[in-house]
Amino acid sequence: MPVKNRFAELQAEISAWRRDIHQNPEILFETHRTSALVADKLKEFGCDEVVSGIGRTGVVGVIRGKADTRGKVIGLRADMDALPIHEATGLDYASKTPGAMHACGHDGHTAMLLGAAKYLAETRNFDGTVVVIFQPAEEGGGGGREMCEDNLMERWGIQEVYGMHNWPGKPVGSFAIRPGAFFAATDQFDITFEGRGGHAAKPHETVDTTVMTAQAVLALQTIASRNADPIDQVVVSVTSFETSSKAFNVIPQKVQIKGTVRTMSKDMRDLAEQRINEICSGVAATFGGSADVNYIRGYPVMVNSDEQTDFAAEVARSVSGDCEEAPLVMGGEDFAYMLEERPGAYILVGNGDTAMVHHPEYNFNDEAIPAGCSWWAEIVEQRMPAA
Amino acid sequence: MPIKNRFAEMHPEITGWRRDIHQHPEILYETHRTSALVAEKLREFGCDDVVTGIGRTGVVGVINGRADTKGRVIGLRADMDALPMQEQTGVEHASKTPGAMHACGHDGHTAMVLGAAKYLAETRNFDGTAIVIFQPAEEGGNGAEAMCQDGLMDRFGIQEVYAMHNVPGLPVGQFAIRSGPLLAAADEFDIHLEGHGGHAAKPHETVDTTVMLSQLIVALQTIVSRNADPILQAVLSVTAVETSSAAFNVIPQSARLRGTVRTHSNEMRDLIEQRLNEVVQGVATTMGGTAHVTYTRGVPVTINAEEQTGYAESAAVAVGGSCDEAPMVMGGEDFSFMLQERPGAFIVLGNGDSAGLHHPEYDFNDEIIPTGCSWFAEMVERRMPVA
Repeated sequence: MPVKNRFAELQAEISAWRRDIHQNPEILFETHRTSALVADKLKEFGCDEVVSGIGRTGVVGVIRGKADTRGKVIGLRADMDALPIHEATGLDYASKTPGAMHACGHDGHTAMLLGAAKYLAETRNFDGTVVVIFQPAEEGGGGGREMCEDNLMERWGIQEVYGMHNWPGKPVGSFAIRPGAFFAATDQFDITFEGRGGHAAKPHETVDTTVMTAQAVLALQTIASRNADPIDQVVVSVTSFETSSKAFNVIPQKVQIKGTVRTMSKDMRDLAEQRINEICSGVAATFGGSADVNYIRGYPVMVNSDEQTDFAAEVARSVSGDCEEAPLVMGGEDFAYMLEERPGAYILVGNGDTAMVHHPEYNFNDEAIPAGCSWWAEIVEQRMPAA
Repeated sequence: MPIKNRFAEMHPEITGWRRDIHQHPEILYETHRTSALVAEKLREFGCDDVVTGIGRTGVVGVINGRADTKGRVIGLRADMDALPMQEQTGVEHASKTPGAMHACGHDGHTAMVLGAAKYLAETRNFDGTAIVIFQPAEEGGNGAEAMCQDGLMDRFGIQEVYAMHNVPGLPVGQFAIRSGPLLAAADEFDIHLEGHGGHAAKPHETVDTTVMLSQLIVALQTIVSRNADPILQAVLSVTAVETSSAAFNVIPQSARLRGTVRTHSNEMRDLIEQRLNEVVQGVATTMGGTAHVTYTRGVPVTINAEEQTGYAESAAVAVGGSCDEAPMVMGGEDFSFMLQERPGAFIVLGNGDSAGLHHPEYDFNDEIIPTGCSWFAEMVERRMPVA
């Protein structure tokens, strides 16, 4: 069973929604226009309930199947927010807002889930309830977390959740997934080393912050090389190094370093955070200075449940004939918060040979719409089959 | 034999010159008013020759002794330039030029050599020729080098050169000197490291500049600890570090490091410059990056000739009753260029309990004028005594 015929019919309409959203990108929680558009459409489709303001600007739509004999409830989630990037695609529907752009394809994700909602509300060919979830602020704002904090899962009795992301470089409409840890936990650190500044010709009267910080940057390399189990993954990158003064003849009082940590398990994440604190404090103490470590936890590891992943892969094969094993991704994904609350799965759908996500020339590929919509609809119909 | 009585008489007059110069500070080579004032005074004193325009705005005065039986020629040097600082002394004779200030006492040095010239032209109680040298741009402009390049030493047949600097914190009128290296060579370096920037979660696709620069800072410490003869002095300080980006999730493409090198011998200076280049290139190559080093030589080591230091010390003891052994100083002094061309000595004279040099509240102490003038006059009369 390939793509559903109904989505071939709907493709032009769904593409138009997608391009309209693309032209009007909104960042983080500021998805006011997009959220209103989504809510309007859901009401127009005949959803049984449409609730706005979940997780600030998040929108939830409820579609009941033709039967509800077993009380099954499935959540399907899309993200709506754009990025603070200036678009350079030259498209006739390019962003009208300077400095904002749908460079990660969330316009496509939203449009595909809207398309699936339209179909599901038309056909209702399932035994249970579908909850379509449209979240703001996936790009660094924790919109998924805020929706969960607003009791998304309990309020609608959601039992499983599914998410999808387009993937440049992968053939259009093909799928890939993996069970277990999939996207990394993405944390940041901001560390200030303090020594004692002074004249560069009198090093003995100072506690030299450049030497101290350089030693710390080197010592941080041993987290990946010496502390981590070599089977597991961890990245610790120091990305910025700045002295508090720029003169040739002054030992700076302070040095600030910044960076990121990517891990694929909670244990590794805890280990990395602990070792960063120990190494920075230890190196600072060694040189007679101090270190102020600010470790900022970002999105947690996104972990696909085994059972739901198998099911999602099976559905993907039914839609497009195949489903590859996806590689581990060192990027982060806000959907991780929803997967911490409920079992579920996150799948990748090929965007074809396009620029990479977050690139100013990236664009969502409308050709992926029928496959994406079909997968959503099939998840519902196969997981909650009508008798 | 203490201070010469004549200088006690002239004290108010010389103080008047000093305060007039203090009110009209001029920076680097822009000492037009000061140079004109100096030339005018030298002519008024009856110098046998007054030449301007040596080293751009430098001034030279020639005073012939009552005899010249041995062809002896001695140079006495003062510096005339001020600093680009806003004066905060609140004194009546404070700078009239916003952002310019005599914060290193060159006003006093100039006034003292002018006083000595007036006395020497009046008395001519020596067998030979005294050359009074007034240089611009001591503060970072290499004015002494410019005067030497204009043929100062050969043109006037100078055989020995002497100079003096006031020192805050040393009691008023107290002399101090040392034979051999006294002030340091002060060089600067500016290193550009180039790696291969990229996403912080994909370190394997980058050449990480922060790790490279940290390896470099640590490796540079071994120049002093491992390459330098431990008996000798050397300072290498990395004082500024800046990565080309400051984001949390980007490995920066390049980084820039700056710093200073202070040494007390030409051999050590050469060694450090060579090792700095080798260490930078070696570390960059090791990590798969590239490096560009700009090593800028500042003033050379100030080396007092042993014999002339002995004469300078005897004159100081005669004038002030004692002469301390001066400590080595890691700062630099432009007079070093003249000492490279001719034997001579640089002596320091206590300025009493004043603010430090280059401090906005510093002022030259007029109380030391008779002592300073007496030392210059004594140098001439003792080194070229009349029969």
